[in-house]
Amino acid sequence: MAAGAAPRPARRGGRREGGSNGPRREAAPGLVSVMESVEAVARTLLSFGRLSRGLPFGRAHGLSSRDPLLPLAPRSQENADPQRTAFLLRKQWTLYSVTPLYRFSNAHLRDYARLLSAFIAAEKQKGLAVEVGVELDIKVAVSSLPYLKGSDQDQAAILVQLSSRSPASPKNSEEKLIWSGWFCCVSGDNLSKNVPEDFTCLPLFLVNGAECYTSIVGSWFQKTFDCSFRRLAISPLILSWMAAMWTGCKVDKTASAMELVFSVPCLPQPLDISYAIHPEDAKALWDTVQKTPGEIIQEEVDVFMDCLYSHFHRHFRIHLSATKLVKVSTAIASAHCDGIIKVRF
Amino acid sequence: MDETVAEYIRRTVLKIPRDEIKTMLEKWGLLSETQLQTINFRQIKESISQDVVQLCEENSVDIKQAAVLDIIYNHVYPNKRVWCVYQMKKTGEEAEFFDLTDFKKKFKGRLRSALKNVTINFREYEDNAIWIRIAWGTPYTKPNQYKPSYVVYHSQTPYVFISASVLKSNLPLLCQALVLASNYHDIREMELRSHSLNSLKDIVFKRYSQNFQTHYPRPLQERNVAPKSDLRIIQENRNEKERIERVNREVFGDGPQPKLEFAQYKLETMFKSDPQMDVLDKKEPFRCLVKFSSPHLLESLKSLAPAGMADAPISPLLTCIPQKARNYFKIREKKHFFPESFVSP
Repeated sequence: MAAGAAPRPARRGGRREGGSNGPRREAAPGLVSVMESVEAVARTLLSFGRLSRGLPFGRAHGLSSRDPLLPLAPRSQENADPQRTAFLLRKQWTLYSVTPLYRFSNAHLRDYARLLSAFIAAEKQKGLAVEVGVELDIKVAVSSLPYLKGSDQDQAAILVQLSSRSPASPKNSEEKLIWSGWFCCVSGDNLSKNVPEDFTCLPLFLVNGAECYTSIVGSWFQKTFDCSFRRLAISPLILSWMAAMWTGCKVDKTASAMELVFSVPCLPQPLDISYAIHPEDAKALWDTVQKTPGEIIQEEVDVFMDCLYSHFHRHFRIHLSATKLVKVSTAIASAHCDGIIKVRF
Repeated sequence: MDETVAEYIRRTVLKIPRDEIKTMLEKWGLLSETQLQTINFRQIKESISQDVVQLCEENSVDIKQAAVLDIIYNHVYPNKRVWCVYQMKKTGEEAEFFDLTDFKKKFKGRLRSALKNVTINFREYEDNAIWIRIAWGTPYTKPNQYKPSYVVYHSQTPYVFISASVLKSNLPLLCQALVLASNYHDIREMELRSHSLNSLKDIVFKRYSQNFQTHYPRPLQERNVAPKSDLRIIQENRNEKERIERVNREVFGDGPQPKLEFAQYKLETMFKSDPQMDVLDKKEPFRCLVKFSSPHLLESLKSLAPAGMADAPISPLLTCIPQKARNYFKIREKKHFFPESFVSP
């Protein structure tokens, strides 16, 4: 994957007036929209798991709480075919940020599939790529997911799937899905407005499958649409957001603990701290913190995390806020700062 | 020579780093000087091990003799295993003279009367350490040589270090045999585990430099020291920095820390918050599980306060690890008088 820069269209406007309830943390402006996408994707994944009952919708950073950001979940739920969204669940997704695609068209998806298929075959001939000793017939499917977007202005998500059938097996045998990747844009109106003509904005790419295929598919997109991919790191800010959000979901008695993993690398001897809280107790705490029905605001996440940090400090006199939050894990999903989200249900 | 013995010898030799093989074979003493000279120790390990097996064939080595090579390997590389510490108790009698022969006889007798198929080896080392290797079988199957348990017993002490194999069901029997053979009457597992056998010994034998609770007087010279560095550099918070260093030394001691890799705390204390925050106020404990891990945990914890990530002094829950000789804790709230302090059963 090219480690190119990820130029973002500049965000126009900024904070809206009114309703600001206190200090807010802002991520670097360039990454805000991508972070919103990550966060929105996290919510999308939850809504598809039919846990939307009682799931509040997040409000993004730096914007007032009165911002009429269309919540992602209800729209997606209305039009989502459970069959088609099943691919999202019970999988691990690695996240990339993508620069806008030049001259990409929804009308040519079949052609793209054909071209990508030819490209993969050519790479195999060259002897590059794919797993050693595996002779597979790879079939490419590219489809559009119109229900996966934040607002009407957003580009519909694009799903690329690679399936294989070993040449030995009979013609009508089942194809096995070996790799999936989907591009999406769930950041709302602000981003899409600023995209120049001829460019399609799908800033988030999620991958499940072997790295060798990710590499080939990525190279083809880069060559064809003059875009570039970069691994997306998830900041501690977003990780705490996810921890709070997922903790609030109803889970059954046998749910696993809510775990936060911290890393302190810059010591003479590195230290890792795992802080796991009983899911019922974590939820009880979150329920008393989260006050506005139907919304989560940044302060609530801050209070929640501060409570956990101060409980820890009371016992160990260590300031967890000075360490790096690298992973959050709940019964529903887990997220790692290296840009990996695992959906559990 | 049995094929299983040959295979066992081959695999044991393969575990040994190539440069160590000759030394270990010499320690083992089953192959003569002339035989050893016929082996080319510069070839690949697979070939060396095959040569060794062939020579063992000539000497008709049996499984018990082969097991001795395994003990030698584990004695040089004990840190590949996880060791648990056990403490034996006497009924207040005077220390009896330790009779090694009697010990071995009783130990073997107890195990053999319960299990027909066991391989038991003893090896004594200089520091009064007796290494025992036990390969477990059942009344119907031969002992599994690849999953042995190891016991290190210092006969002048009540401590036993056990690296149990995966076959945990044999642990009670092993404990019984130890108690019987050593003329103690009870044995209990201490909550102390680590890869570093020597560090465990340091902790229970109190061989590390302990911290003293008395005031550490500030040497006079510190006050009068002439600044060696550039006068333009001003050290802010010098007093605070020195206080932190001093307090840190007091609680951790001056010498090198015993090497542990993890510490685990099961917290069952109450969640307490600032009443103004209006959050969780439950009457039940806030259940957490905290795990610290590091290549050298105590050194890592010692560096936290100087790095600004922890208060000085850091919590006694952490600094008590060597004195209490445990790294697994269950912390409950101390009732009545001192709600801020904790009791650890």
